[in-house]
Parts: sequence; C-alpha cells; structure tokens
Amino acid sequence: MIRVAGLRHRIVDIPDLTVDARHIAVIGPNGSGKTTLLAISSGIEEPRAGTVRLLGRPPSAVKVGWVGEFPDRTLLFSRVYDEIASAPRFRHHPCRETDERVGAAAGKVGIQHLLGKKVSALSGGEKALVALAAACADDPEVLVLDEADSHLDAGTAERVYRVVQESTAAHVLWCTQSMDTAAGADYVLFMEDGRVRHHGTPEEVFSALEETCFYPTMWRVLR
Amino acid sequence: MRVDLEDLLFSRGSFTLRGSGTFEEGVHLVSGPVGSGKSTLALLLAELLRPGSGAVRRHGVSSALLLLQFPEHHITCPTVAEEAGSWGLAPDDVLARADLAGRGDDDPFHLSRGELRRLTLACAVMRNPDLLMLDEPFGSLDCVAKREACRMIEERDAGITIIFSHERAVLPRVDAVWEMEAGALTARGSVPGAIPLWRHAPPYLAYALREGARPANIRLSDAREALCRIRG
Repeated sequence: MIRVAGLRHRIVDIPDLTVDARHIAVIGPNGSGKTTLLAISSGIEEPRAGTVRLLGRPPSAVKVGWVGEFPDRTLLFSRVYDEIASAPRFRHHPCRETDERVGAAAGKVGIQHLLGKKVSALSGGEKALVALAAACADDPEVLVLDEADSHLDAGTAERVYRVVQESTAAHVLWCTQSMDTAAGADYVLFMEDGRVRHHGTPEEVFSALEETCFYPTMWRVLR
Repeated sequence: MRVDLEDLLFSRGSFTLRGSGTFEEGVHLVSGPVGSGKSTLALLLAELLRPGSGAVRRHGVSSALLLLQFPEHHITCPTVAEEAGSWGLAPDDVLARADLAGRGDDDPFHLSRGELRRLTLACAVMRNPDLLMLDEPFGSLDCVAKREACRMIEERDAGITIIFSHERAVLPRVDAVWEMEAGALTARGSVPGAIPLWRHAPPYLAYALREGARPANIRLSDAREALCRIRG
C-alpha cells in the first residue's frame, strides 16, 4: 500500500492518494513532476510538506531499489561486480552472501558475462541492465524505475520488463514514456503540472486520454 | 545531391561497422537496437570519424550538420537568445519557430528537455544544411514533444535528412528505411516497399501487416488508415 497525504514539494501537489497495486506506471508530459514524486517515494528527497508512506513506513525505512534514466550518472563503481555488490556491501552482508546475491541478480538480468568488465566499456543498454541488477541485488521491497527504458531498444526493454515482473518487490513504481509499456501495469498515475490528473486501471486512465497521444499505439490499432 | 557509402568499414575493439549504399534526397530512418552502431554511423557520415577502409562520398552536398543525441552537448552560450545567435540565426526567428517566445534571456540549461530539444532542432532545421543528421531526436521526449519534432522534420522540404533512432511509437513520414544490426547496415529501400522488409518495425506497423493491411508510410496514422481500408 502506498499512501500520499498533503504532499507539496517543488511543483508536485498531491493532497491525498492511496494506491494498493503492485506494478504502478507513472506517466505524463516532460516536467510534470514524475521524477520528483519518484525521488520522494524513494527517500532520495524529503518533501517540503506532507508524507509518503510505503508499506506503512516512511521511504527511508523501506528497502528501495532505484534505476534512473541515465545510468552514467548513477553508477558508482568502475567494475560491474562492485556496482552490483554495492547494496549488499553497504548493508554489511558477509562476503559469501554478497557474492551469492551478485551472482543471482546478474543471472536474473542475464549479464553474468559482464561481471568482470569495466563499467566504462559497456554500451548504454548494458549499463541500464547493470543498474537494474544493482537495484535488485538486495531484494528491494519497492523497485523504482525512472524512465529507465527511454534509451533502450525493444529487446532490452522487454528484458527489463520481465525482470521487474519477476522481482519479489511488493511495489514497482515505473515512470515511462512508452504507453504500450504502461498499458501492462496494474495501476496508472497520469501526472500533469505536478498533480495526479487521472489514476486507476490502465483501461480507466487511458479512456480519459483517448483523444491525446498518450493513448497506447497498440490499443489505437486494435480498436 | 547524394551521399554514397562505399564499402565502409570501421572497427573499435570487438565492434565492427560495415555499410554500403546511397542516401538520396529525402528523409531516411536508420533504425536498430541500442549499441548496434547507429551513433557511430552518424559520426562517420558527419566525417567526425575516419573509416578504417572504404569511404563516405558526398556529391553536391555543400553543407552538413549533425545534431547530437544529447541536446545539452550543443550548448555554448549563457542565454537562449545568444545560443540561437551562435548558430548564425536571428534569435527572434528561432524562438518563434521553437515556440520559446519570451524565453530569450533564460539559461538554456533551465529549459526542459523537450524545450531544449525544440531549440536545437529548430536551429538545425533553420540552418537548412544539405545534409542533416539527427541522432536519437526523440530520446527522453514525451509524445507531445515527439510529435513537434516530427512536424519540424517533415517541414524540411529539401536536402538529405537522416534520422538515427530506436523510437517505436511516434515517427515522422519518411522516404526510406535502413536497419543497423550488430554493426551491419542494411538498406530496406523506399517506403512503402520497405515496410514489410523492416525487421524491427514498431509493433503497430507489424500488427497492421499481419492483418493484411499495407500502410503507405510508417506513422501510427498510416497504420490506422490502412487498417480502416481493409476493415471497411
């Protein structure tokens, strides 16, 4: 359960919102406050006013895995193994357990062959997969993806989608500009000018957006 | 006016790019997965990289311009108006074209991603080079901004325009489709003949083809029109 109450921070203004769904797509125009909402929900930013509670707790008390739009800006370590190992190491897990977690996360994402490589030698798509494996390595309770698919081709984006679906996270908050991806979510938040303009199932939200380009392309041709 | 790729070969580490073919006047889409070599091909076409062997030969092309994947990499001036001026253009004309009237004194880095993309795309289109290359012009944009970018590209009525993109929802009308896959460039030919040959066609186009429709071009609206024709 995600509860937002009296939230005001930068342009985000959400008086009251409760979402009880696993995979939540956050959509809307550039500059509508999606990243800000995700940053608050991850505990990266403290809101100026109001609260967000995930699973009944403040975000800082929840294990959150974060995947940003530009992995170059968020990857900390120069070796792929060290990057994926960072969360278990920061939590002082024993070496053997850390190693098992790194192997499992890399296996899930299908990048075992990259573990010994330098991050700087990877393609953009590979970096995004490393960021996803790093976010998954400590079994996050909430997984947050901020337009992580913007710079991915269809094949890599599908791999990300599958990993997210199979993760044990109780909630997935996924901001995307692909409405065809958002159509597969359990719940959709459409943001505009800092506010949640529409929220509900994909059917409910997209029926309100039918006259706009935010309507999924596949729904357009299947109709 | 045309650009010929003559047995182009470029290698870096384990990556090898190969390509042959001719880019005639009109709008070309070079599609393909991330990491397949689209940006490298753009740099080779822009003569910012030198091929290991083979050549890029321009015929009747007197000016060329490459718009980089990240528009912030183009910014050299502290205000939007000065930035437009640095392209050799009248700032007011650029601001009007980019729908940024009244923003001339703003810091370009205070523009949103969509606004910054509009600014650089407007500058590039208004420079009107014979050869315009656009590397991922739709990246990070919402669908409204992608449509604006398509409109600006479609309004260009002369010269060679080459779009390098993995975009699969909002695309402009194009004249030819090319595909990059693991460093190999393949010409799919002129549209509409190229559409059934396009391996990584967007899902809506692939669906229309499966239904037996024959879209006239690659946009969502083309797929819908073609489906309407066969469905009556």
